[in-house]
Amino acid sequence: MSDPNRGFFARTALIATAALILSPLGVLAQSAAAPPASSNQSTTSVSKDRWLHVRVISSDAKGETVRVNVPLELAEKVLPAINKNRLHDGKVKIDDAHVNDVDLRALVEAIRTTKDGEFVTVQSNDCDVRVAKQSNHLIVHVLDKQNSKKSEVEVKVPMKVIDALFSAGKDELDLVAALHALSAQGDTELVSVKDHENTVRVWLDSKNVTD
Amino acid sequence: MMLLAKAALGLGGTIVLAGAYTMREGVIRVDVDEYHAGGSHIHLWVPAAAVPMAMHFVPTKHMRHASEQAREALPVLHAIVKELKKYPDVAFVEVDDRDQHVRVRTHGGKLQIDVDAPDQKVHVLCPLSAIEDVTSQLEEHSPGA
Repeated sequence: MSDPNRGFFARTALIATAALILSPLGVLAQSAAAPPASSNQSTTSVSKDRWLHVRVISSDAKGETVRVNVPLELAEKVLPAINKNRLHDGKVKIDDAHVNDVDLRALVEAIRTTKDGEFVTVQSNDCDVRVAKQSNHLIVHVLDKQNSKKSEVEVKVPMKVIDALFSAGKDELDLVAALHALSAQGDTELVSVKDHENTVRVWLDSKNVTD
Repeated sequence: MMLLAKAALGLGGTIVLAGAYTMREGVIRVDVDEYHAGGSHIHLWVPAAAVPMAMHFVPTKHMRHASEQAREALPVLHAIVKELKKYPDVAFVEVDDRDQHVRVRTHGGKLQIDVDAPDQKVHVLCPLSAIEDVTSQLEEHSPGA
């Protein structure tokens, strides 16, 4: 090989080596810049996924706040993988579908087939209790007035979710089916608890962040 | 001069390829600081791709033992990681009070766990793909596989 060619190849090889060694820096720079962009994208977007949110705000001295955001699809996929104690394949075993001698299945069937209305209304000096079926939702409302610091609990469950929960075989609650039914529901508040110290909210929407 | 250039090219290329391969999945980062007498201070940075590679060199006997120990958790872990990959940038759990902060979130396809308390700080950052690789390898060594 002639001297000019040898020099040319040597320079080319050195430049190529330098380029190869420096190229990861470019990749690192790109990867360092990339996450915020994707982060913004995910936090601002409202996806078609359904999210279950839990928020607990405590107004005591420590001022604790808990926020949990779970995609229902994730819960649906993960639950069947858990096989522990009474939980198998996304279903929970219950003893003879009887709790304190109450036939839950019969009770649910009765509620399902009955028209909208109030099933239980208790009003006393200590507390008010209301159990009703309204717009295909089972509503339980409890107002505790026992002491000066009132507490209020409201649970609102779509009937379709309750149906799905009891859709498994006898003595089983189908959690996955219930979650699936829940994901078909619109934005809704499921549980609300308020007392003098804590506020608890469980709700469903399409956002991947809490308010 | 030519020989030197060739050697430099070969060495440089090998370093770059090895570096790019090792770093392609990012870094597993574990930082633990306990602020009390005798408390631990652990700071660990490991290329994520190196862990599944290193697992190939673990004797089968030990892999089987580890797989058996983690038998119940493996399917759950596998399902969680598979699903978490669909949500690359989400805060799943946030706990805050006056002194402590806990975060469990995904960020850029990595699982990030941060605990900030007065007596300890724990920060874990692990690419989801690395967790998936590890669980897959452990599942391969499970007795039923």
